[in-house]
Amino acid sequence: MTMGSMFRGEEVALVQLFLPTAAAYTCVSQLGELGLVEFRDLNASVSAFQRRFVVDVRRCEELEKTFTFLQEEVRRAGLVLPQPEGRLPAPPPRDLLHIQEETDRLAKELRDVRGNQQELRAQLHQLQLHEAVLGQSHGPPQAAAHIDGPSSERSPLLLSPAGPHQDLRVNFVAGAVEPHKAAALERLLWRACRGFLIASFQEMEQQLEDPMTGEPTRWMTFLISYWGEQIGQKIHKITACFHCHVFPYLEQEEARRGVLQQLQQQSQELQEVLGETERFLSQVLGRVQQLLPAGQVQIRKMKAVYLALNQCSVSSTHKCLIAEAWCAALDLPTVQQVLRDSSSEAGVSAVAHRIPCQDMPPTLIRTNRFTVSFQGIVDAYGVGRYQEVNPAPYTIITFPFLFAVMFGDVGHGLLMFLFALAMVLAENQPAMKAAQNEIWQTFFGGRYLLLLMGLFSVYTGFIYNECFSRATTIFPSGWSVATMANQSGWSDAYLAQHPLLTLDPNISGVFLGPYPFGIDPIWSLATNHLSFLNSFKMKMSVILGVTHMAFGVVLGIFNHVHFGQGHRLLLETLPELIFLLGLFGYLVFLVVYKWLCISAGGSALAPSILIHFINMFLFSRSPTNRLLYHGQEVVQYALVVLALAAVPVLLLGTPLYLLRQQRSHRLQRRPAGGQDKDKAKLIDITDASESGWGPDEEKAGCSGDKKEAELVPSEVFMHQAIHTIEFCLGCISNTASYLRLWALSLAHAQLSEVLWAMVMRMGLSAGLKLGVQAVMMVPVFAAFAVLTVAILLVMEGLSAFLHALRLHWVEFQNKFYSGTGYKLSPFTFAAEDE
Amino acid sequence: MLESAELHFNVDHGYLEGLVRGLKASLLTQQDYVNLVQCETLEDLKIHLQTTDYGNFLANETNPLTVSKIDTEMRKKLCKEFDYFRNHSLEPLSTFLTYMTCSYMIDNVILLMNGALQKKSVKEILAKCHPLGSFTEMEAVNIAETISDLFNAVLVETPLAPFFQDCMSENTLDELNVELLRNKLYKSYLESFYKFCKNHGDVTAEVMCPILEFEADRRAFIITLNSFGTELSKEDRETLYPTCGRLYPEGLRLLTQAEDFDQMKTVADHYGVYKPVFETVGGHGGKTLEDVFYEHEVQMNVLAFNRQFHYGVFYAYVKLKEQEMRNIVWIAECISQRHRTKINSYIPIL
Repeated sequence: MTMGSMFRGEEVALVQLFLPTAAAYTCVSQLGELGLVEFRDLNASVSAFQRRFVVDVRRCEELEKTFTFLQEEVRRAGLVLPQPEGRLPAPPPRDLLHIQEETDRLAKELRDVRGNQQELRAQLHQLQLHEAVLGQSHGPPQAAAHIDGPSSERSPLLLSPAGPHQDLRVNFVAGAVEPHKAAALERLLWRACRGFLIASFQEMEQQLEDPMTGEPTRWMTFLISYWGEQIGQKIHKITACFHCHVFPYLEQEEARRGVLQQLQQQSQELQEVLGETERFLSQVLGRVQQLLPAGQVQIRKMKAVYLALNQCSVSSTHKCLIAEAWCAALDLPTVQQVLRDSSSEAGVSAVAHRIPCQDMPPTLIRTNRFTVSFQGIVDAYGVGRYQEVNPAPYTIITFPFLFAVMFGDVGHGLLMFLFALAMVLAENQPAMKAAQNEIWQTFFGGRYLLLLMGLFSVYTGFIYNECFSRATTIFPSGWSVATMANQSGWSDAYLAQHPLLTLDPNISGVFLGPYPFGIDPIWSLATNHLSFLNSFKMKMSVILGVTHMAFGVVLGIFNHVHFGQGHRLLLETLPELIFLLGLFGYLVFLVVYKWLCISAGGSALAPSILIHFINMFLFSRSPTNRLLYHGQEVVQYALVVLALAAVPVLLLGTPLYLLRQQRSHRLQRRPAGGQDKDKAKLIDITDASESGWGPDEEKAGCSGDKKEAELVPSEVFMHQAIHTIEFCLGCISNTASYLRLWALSLAHAQLSEVLWAMVMRMGLSAGLKLGVQAVMMVPVFAAFAVLTVAILLVMEGLSAFLHALRLHWVEFQNKFYSGTGYKLSPFTFAAEDE
Repeated sequence: MLESAELHFNVDHGYLEGLVRGLKASLLTQQDYVNLVQCETLEDLKIHLQTTDYGNFLANETNPLTVSKIDTEMRKKLCKEFDYFRNHSLEPLSTFLTYMTCSYMIDNVILLMNGALQKKSVKEILAKCHPLGSFTEMEAVNIAETISDLFNAVLVETPLAPFFQDCMSENTLDELNVELLRNKLYKSYLESFYKFCKNHGDVTAEVMCPILEFEADRRAFIITLNSFGTELSKEDRETLYPTCGRLYPEGLRLLTQAEDFDQMKTVADHYGVYKPVFETVGGHGGKTLEDVFYEHEVQMNVLAFNRQFHYGVFYAYVKLKEQEMRNIVWIAECISQRHRTKINSYIPIL
């Protein structure tokens, strides 16, 4: 990869692939491994089930269905599927049958064993339930409570001697029901046959595994004693509808015990058989574990290949498939080589060649792990139009820098830098990539961005001379208090009376010269610290802003040159630059000039830039405001006139030029014969592939026929008018917008100052005994640290990030970047391999 | 009542409303139907449905695919969505959702009772029951011999209990009585639901009342239509009409007297809403009254989505989804029976 490819999207060509029918599958599968081309759907009008390879796709899906079943079984058994190893190419089509057979056999085997196991478990479950029901300690059923002995259960409950109730006897229904249904069952029984039954419910002692789901549940056993046949039928119906397991319940205690023993024996035997079955099952599952991961990857690839083949059209001779694909021009030889290699067996070689195209190709910008997050910032706004200048390489520097201007603090920057550095150093550890946490992934993805942001923050922190809001004295201060005290004879009494003292730079020896780097630490003691910083940061914001925007306009030049729109250089970029630099560039000049040329000595008479700048637009002068330099007014008049003159050029230049060009084209073409016209068209198309995707006029359509298409004058004018108004107003509002740099950096500095004063200083100046003080500092520092990270680093960091983002998207990119393209998304197996 | 739904609706129901609106966007579009109609086999239909929000819902069905399998799976899917709504809903939305399930519960109870009368096995009938209206005691319905039995033993705990007030009788359950029971239950259900929406006020009332009014009137028309040529007396017929519709009271009185379709149509002509509905009956394509009513219903339900902060969207979504399922089943039936001439008489939704 060359660095140059970052500056604009790579050249992407439309490629026509002729794939011999016999080798088409291999070719596409190799292309999938390569992952360089994006197939275009040539059958967009054909619905999904009418395509050529729909049968194969369906077979793959069938197989996937079986795989899902197997996977589910493995998961249910609590086993883990190993990651597939090695490179697994898409299997040749003839292997599909083989794989299918093998999978089906395995699935059938598994189903059988599973079924057996299920059945055995159900039987066991049933037996266990039966045991529990018989073993339930209802004692002698309550119904028979006042009858002595089981033998007399046959006698009527009420002591009616004889008559119609003679055959009345107590019967039993015993069974088990799922616990959550028990209450409803009990109520329903009571309501349906009130008075004719006595039901007793009891929770089972041990939990039973559900044969279907394997979940342990505690069933409720019940024993219902009732009178009468009718009621009996009803009860049976009701228990049936609640899916209860009902078991015969013998009346004699001994008989029940006998059955119970028998049951226990049965269940023991069953458990042995079950154990055997489960051993076999785990064997089968082991085989599944071996086969499945590789098979899944292979079949997914195969399906992907067929889906890609479905996008191809068939040649008229049926001998080959024709595919159209987008491919980076650089990669074309690789693609051709792969195609030749993979079709060598078939005898006929697969060919790929460029064809002229009328649509805008997709944008391809290759990134590495460093550039990817910066490209991401740009792409989040909009993927660049084909071959448009890519703002990402500049963003790599400007973004962290503008962030740092707002976030400047050595301490905070260092923390951020170290955090990012840790991530960068650990980036190759598998645990880092495997982390699923979305917030973590966001931070991890932007680790290089964070690294630069931290680094630049340290830099701007040194400039602002702030480390956790404290100033550092690396170099000796440029101000000498001693000299001032000596010169003005401050006595001890004077010093005691005056808490505020003024240092006068005009007294020689007091101001020795500027601090070597950044803000002089003595300012942190001054009461006018804030107003000094405000003036500095405001001017700095304007300077950075105007430079940034001017750079954006200059980048537009590369677009115009690349798309062969020389007229726009003269008719758009030039007036734009004149307007921007003539007005706001001049403001920057005034600021710098005043910094350089007005010294402390003349400060009493220093001119106000603000008044000068306002007067410049009003063409007036204020007598109290001194001129900065000789001839200032003439220069200012000239600049304003020039800037205003640039507006009509910007407004009318391009539309008029385009309309004139169109007229002359029409005049040229009319006399030409039919053949010539075709030729012209052909030439046009090839032309178009080079230069057809420039922005704007162009919105009228970017097809090869676009020159034929009528330019609608009103639309062209309207569009240019909008652009002009946007640019001119934008120059003012965007410059103002850059003042957010000042505002946010001020807020950050003040917030960290407040945190220091309210937490650390309180702790440090508590005035306790040394030992107590030290102990107290622990929680105080903890609070300081937590608040620093939570508020100053995370919250303020996010806010500064957001504003830096906005400055790039809105203020910078709208000067040259349209972002209306789409990404090249190649057909690749890469995701499948993971 | 104070018009304040906008202020606090989202606190309790905002999430679900957002969800249901999202789901509504997954309804099949006209283009989808055009594609479905072109399918040659049910497999094609399945492949096409996979490209929609139905996704892989048929993926684990064993071959061969049948219409009833598709239907069951679609119902299951809807049921899953609905259960999600229900589990996440707060009062009074949960009551509203319970009201929605009541109509399915009534249908299920009646279906089971009919099955019991015809001595069919419960299992067979259960498969036909709508999952939205299933409840634990449902299967016990066939133990009841009289309506009061049914109420006292089986349904007293279900949300259906209040609707039994008007239809308690000691009559044995035969087919006519079951049918009468269904209509009576429906009548009190609709009236109760209507009252609930009306009392709730706000946008919910504004949206739901017209829909339920229409539902009531539709039942009145259908009852009338079905009673022609049966032994049902006019007085009995009148007791079945839900009284919360636009037809009440004058229209219902007239309907009681109607003796054939034309007389019914004359009644409908008095109402601006129903006149055009009846006029399209039997027009081009030979639409039945039922179809025309369905179309009108779909229209009302789609309109319900134009308002915000009300429960009607849940009702409308389920009804639209039902209609969509009917459409898919219709198309699938036409495909599987190779009866393509009528395949286009589904009712498009969007």
